[in-house]
Amino acid sequence: MQDEKVRSSDEEIVRQVLDGNVNAFEFVIQRYRILVMTIVKKHVPQDAVEETAQDVFVRAYRSLPTFKGTGGFSQWLSSIAVRTCHDYWRKAYRSREIPLSALTEKHTQWLEHAISRAPEVTPDATEPQKEAREVLDWALGKLSAGDRMVLELVYLEGLTVQEAAESLGWSKANVKVRSFRAKMKLEKILRRMMEQGGRER
Amino acid sequence: MRSRVLENESLKRAFREAYAARETAESGEKWESKTMRRIRQIGPLKPAAGFWPAFGSMVWRLAPVSCALVVVLTYFLLSMEPDVDSDYLGALAADMDKPNLVELFGVEG
Repeated sequence: MQDEKVRSSDEEIVRQVLDGNVNAFEFVIQRYRILVMTIVKKHVPQDAVEETAQDVFVRAYRSLPTFKGTGGFSQWLSSIAVRTCHDYWRKAYRSREIPLSALTEKHTQWLEHAISRAPEVTPDATEPQKEAREVLDWALGKLSAGDRMVLELVYLEGLTVQEAAESLGWSKANVKVRSFRAKMKLEKILRRMMEQGGRER
Repeated sequence: MRSRVLENESLKRAFREAYAARETAESGEKWESKTMRRIRQIGPLKPAAGFWPAFGSMVWRLAPVSCALVVVLTYFLLSMEPDVDSDYLGALAADMDKPNLVELFGVEG
């Protein structure tokens, strides 16, 4: 009932914007700012979050005439947010602006430690997440924009193939193939990193 | 066979936790007003449905039907017995060939 109320008011706002009331879009921004920010901050670097989130709303505004109302506005907007993040990485790779921070022995040790730990052992809260994030960012930076996005959605966020396909606007078969290949590439990158770390010691 | 790195449950969990724990980006009124400024620069939206988009979608929707129709008509055309009229037309066309070739190349058969 509550969902229906929210959805109908979304549709009402969309109708107002389509009727030429540009200012009505401010309600959309206020209502979905957190949702968009949550998605964007997961996929793009911290310093690019605000601008990418703006791009999401600008893109949503331009695409508003194509909004059919099926599946809900939040789902439609989420999919736009994911595609905008994908575009961010495509542009970044094209202009070679990917910050590839160098990894140190500390990172290799963290990776080896994480792998050797028994699965049932819960890592304590004090364990540095910084290393994990840096290793992940470094490894993801070596993948293409598409591989990176599909891996983030399927492997790291745990989305189903269907959900990832809807978010990216790809076919289910494409998501399956790309996520499998991307996983293999990431596997190779991490393995090589460990081998190099082992040789240096 | 070597075990896969990414299938290691501990590593998977560590990566997922690190991925989910990104700092929350603060977006205040300033960010909102900047976004709205960009939206206002675009101006009011124009309705998407015009004649050409509608025509385009209709053409693609009718394309399979048209193809099926072409196949069916071709089949009927090929399976039909040649009648008197088409024989007559054939003879006429054959007759017209000769003067044309003569005119063009100046040769007689």
